[in-house]
Amino acid sequence: MIDYVKEPFSEEQSLGVLNKYVKEWFNANFKELTPPQRFTFKLISERKNLLITAPTGSGKTMSGFISIISKLFDYSLQGKLEEKVYCLYISPLRALNNDIHRNLTKPLQEIYTKIAKEKGVDIVKQNVRAVTIGVRTGDTPQKERAQMLKHPPNILVTTPESLAIMLNSTKFVENLKSVEYVIIDEIHELANNKRGVHLSLSVERLANLTDAKFTRIGLGATLYPLEEAAKFLVGYNGNVPNDCTIVDASWSKKLDVVAISPVKDMIYTKDNVVEDSMYDQLNKSIKESKTTLIFTNTRSGTERVVFNLKKRFKYGEDIAAHHGSLSRESRLEVEDLLKKGSLKCAVSSTSLELGVDIGSIDKVIQLGSPKSVTRAIQRIGRAGHSYKAAAKGDVVVLNRDDLVECTIMLDAALKRHLDSFAVPRNPLDVLAQHIVGMSLTKKWEVDEAYNIIRNVYSYYDLPKSDFMALINYLAGNYVGLENRRVYGKIWYDEKDNTFGKRGYNTKIIYMLNLGTIPDEVAVNVMVSGTKKWVGNIEEEFLTKLKEGDIFALGGRMYRFEYARGMKAYVTEAPSSSPTIPPWFSEQLPLSYELANEIGAFRLEFSKLLEDYISKNKINKFARRKKMPKEIDAFLGKLPVDENSKEALYGYFMEQMLFTKCVPNKELLLIECTGDISEYKFYVIFHSLLGRRVNDALSRAIAIKIGERLDSDVGVMINDNGFMLVFDENPKVSEKVIKEVFAELATGTLIPLMKKNVRKTELMKRRFRHAAARSFMILKNYKGWKIGVGRQQVNSQLILKAVEEMDQNFPILKETYREILNDVMDLPRAEEVLSKIRKGEIKWKLIQTPFPSPFAHNLITFGHADVIMMEDRHRYLQELHKMVMKKIGSR
Amino acid sequence: MMLTRDIELLDGLPLIHIKSLNALVGADLHLGYEGVMAKKGVFLPKVNLKRIMETLDTALAKTRAKMVIVDGDIKNEFSTVEQDEFNELYDFINFIKGKGVTLTLIKGNHDNFVERYKEPFKLEVFRQEAKMSGYLFFHGEELPRDLKKVKMLIMGHEHPAIGVFNSGGGKEKLASFLYGSYKRIPLLVLPAMNYFAAGTDINLQHRSMLLSPVLKQIDVDKMRAIAIGYGSTIDFGTIGKLREV
Repeated sequence: MIDYVKEPFSEEQSLGVLNKYVKEWFNANFKELTPPQRFTFKLISERKNLLITAPTGSGKTMSGFISIISKLFDYSLQGKLEEKVYCLYISPLRALNNDIHRNLTKPLQEIYTKIAKEKGVDIVKQNVRAVTIGVRTGDTPQKERAQMLKHPPNILVTTPESLAIMLNSTKFVENLKSVEYVIIDEIHELANNKRGVHLSLSVERLANLTDAKFTRIGLGATLYPLEEAAKFLVGYNGNVPNDCTIVDASWSKKLDVVAISPVKDMIYTKDNVVEDSMYDQLNKSIKESKTTLIFTNTRSGTERVVFNLKKRFKYGEDIAAHHGSLSRESRLEVEDLLKKGSLKCAVSSTSLELGVDIGSIDKVIQLGSPKSVTRAIQRIGRAGHSYKAAAKGDVVVLNRDDLVECTIMLDAALKRHLDSFAVPRNPLDVLAQHIVGMSLTKKWEVDEAYNIIRNVYSYYDLPKSDFMALINYLAGNYVGLENRRVYGKIWYDEKDNTFGKRGYNTKIIYMLNLGTIPDEVAVNVMVSGTKKWVGNIEEEFLTKLKEGDIFALGGRMYRFEYARGMKAYVTEAPSSSPTIPPWFSEQLPLSYELANEIGAFRLEFSKLLEDYISKNKINKFARRKKMPKEIDAFLGKLPVDENSKEALYGYFMEQMLFTKCVPNKELLLIECTGDISEYKFYVIFHSLLGRRVNDALSRAIAIKIGERLDSDVGVMINDNGFMLVFDENPKVSEKVIKEVFAELATGTLIPLMKKNVRKTELMKRRFRHAAARSFMILKNYKGWKIGVGRQQVNSQLILKAVEEMDQNFPILKETYREILNDVMDLPRAEEVLSKIRKGEIKWKLIQTPFPSPFAHNLITFGHADVIMMEDRHRYLQELHKMVMKKIGSR
Repeated sequence: MMLTRDIELLDGLPLIHIKSLNALVGADLHLGYEGVMAKKGVFLPKVNLKRIMETLDTALAKTRAKMVIVDGDIKNEFSTVEQDEFNELYDFINFIKGKGVTLTLIKGNHDNFVERYKEPFKLEVFRQEAKMSGYLFFHGEELPRDLKKVKMLIMGHEHPAIGVFNSGGGKEKLASFLYGSYKRIPLLVLPAMNYFAAGTDINLQHRSMLLSPVLKQIDVDKMRAIAIGYGSTIDFGTIGKLREV
């Protein structure tokens, strides 16, 4: 059963569970217990599985460890502490591991010294040994690892990948059989991705090895839904989740937040004035506080802000940047300076929102939308000297959509409405890897292995057929009998229904290739037809590019042509304007929940405006006139400044007067409009659903409309909607829209989308990731590192062969699943379409002479896409026709 | 489609049919490719041989040809004959024989040991080039030698393809014949039959990137690209024009 404990235990009760020495040490070092500690000391001492969320700076580490340390000293005092691992601590960050090691070494020593002082020589006689701690990560030298095998530490601090290696080392695994506690830290960083799924498979395999059940403790920042996170932590037993107690102490820290518009008028104020005003405000905040932390969302943004602050206000070394592209050394240096309190201000993209201790921050400033409530809270939560002080955060917005988004985000944060995370369901590539791992340790009954796997939350409903498809793939059953020796990673005996390791190479392949994080390198950008190199882009950005997209690189414009391996080919496009912003792949998508909250706000606010407009018979919007009182009062309840209130009011009034309605949670506005100067026609769907849902929805609708018009349709998407782009007036009627929605019935979307993504770079790249995770391609073969470019070429060959062979091949199936469910959000797109068909979401088609205000941000940037033609033969003719149109004659 | 009165490019297939010889001609099969890749740690499922056999099956049924000419690179490795290559060669030759058709091999740069099988399998093997009723078949890694009384040069080696874009922005690579002339003699370059060879998109590559000395000596931009895919064979015009698109 999953249950909550909401009432903390008293200090007396909590400290009462600790042994004498540990309690004395604790009292000598801390004045009182922090909010999470009031729950955990007691609950962990009762050996309850526990999930605890707590804000940073609230003594989270101690809350997880102290009862365990106390227990280990009990063993020690009883003379029965052995050289065994009792507690396993796993975190996704190596840096955090080193922190933990450092932070625990001292208490362990001090407590032991205390005991030693009191006992004198008896300590030897009674076999009272010191409790030991050790770290094992990819950075640990071979010598230390060998040492650890002989003398394992009582508390072992490690990463998910190192755990997987230890589990498959026949010798080391003996040291893990004694584990009594498993702590998983930063669980919010693991529960929503394949790395976390990989870890939870390791944990269930460990559970299968240990003599007794170990206690599981999950630590994390704010996340929702907590029940799901708890299930992720404790896993299943048969068809029911194991017991887990949840303590949500993340709200013990208060928030003091506001959305800020740097200028009164976000439309007609000149860019440089907006910028000046923004930097002046940043400077003011920095001056007022001891230490300020600024988040920018992108790395280039981080660099720009640091550069400007230094240039404008003559800051020196007291301002520093911190982001993923910087070297490890310089990041550590910045963290260190922050801890010491010697920085005035640090600017970060995302890298400082995580775990590592960065000392005390007075204020957090977020530039632009962080796109999710949870992330906003995590970032702003970095501020405040302790858990007792409120976290002060300003969110500076730069356009009107951003403003609406951030306002509702902060309002949701104050109301504790969080967006939810989702665990990838049944990812077959990660599972393939673990099946190989399992085969290394012994001969398995198929059902025995299957049952262990189903204890993992992500796989509790894994279809047996998928599991068997993997067994068959790994056994090489997709090639002829004579080749299985080469292709097979495991053997599978159908008669006995057993499987095990095949070949002496498999173990080496496994150890050198395990993990879920894909190898990525920068993509070289070359001028097509020459050998001229012009710069680098990230591979993730490449997957967003379509032929013809214009992007900026090193201050020049280039048109994307095509990619091969790790090279992207472009032509110079000096006078074009960019169609895709360089940060597009870095920008996180808006969460669906937050999108919904914004939709609800739009509904409420537009009703209020509608009343006001009809009551006062308004048909023109006077920008200079003062805001009506009732509207001022309504907006005043939101966490915004005066400028923002004005901007919100103006934005909604304009839309209301222009289109007579505002798209909202219950109304999908479809706007047919055009851009006369460029002879482009747009059909804009104001579907505020977040980019992931819009990605799927826009493709499906574009395919259907494209079929009707017998032409290709350009698609541009963002979080607030999507638009279809035509060269000729598509004359979309209500009848067409109605039919399109009817045709996109449940169940039709998956085959449609699969066909749509089949030939994209996204598919090619994601297949490489899945192929590498499932050992279809290797990152390292017999000690030779295989470059990412080579991996990409190899995986494309395999993709070609697999598509030919079997459309249901498990790794191909997984690639589609990842794209449709993790990259896009197809299930929710289907849900939205079903609501539209049922009339729960109404739609309205309007014609406008030029784009309405809510469309402006979409018009100014986008994401072109290809829609494949239905008939393959016609497609070839279409290609040909287009070529012919351009070149005229044969 | 008919290339000349005597030569048909079979719809959607990387093969030509020469009526006067009643022969099918294809190039660059690279049998044993998957096995060779597996040795390097790339475990490609085996589909190449199967697809080649299907292609020939279709073409033989349609044309009732009596001879198959492989214009070089029937197998993949340069230096040795790998076990996998041997097995696939064996299966391929038996497949052709089973159809009651003769097999003629022009040696390619990957075919060092093929002559060894000339005797046991009773094959026609030409070391360099072969002239048959006015057609000169050669692989293409070297220049053709005997140009006397040749009415057309037919080669492989280059694995030609073209890259085409649609208006939405998708890029597709289509295997393609190239048709032009060399020293005023018509020249036909065959696309690769190998399933995995995506080919070189000639219209996107600089001339210096081309493999064959034959194509380096002429202006490849003047050659016509006749692409295959999705069951069709369509003339796309000259490479030069395609480059401009």
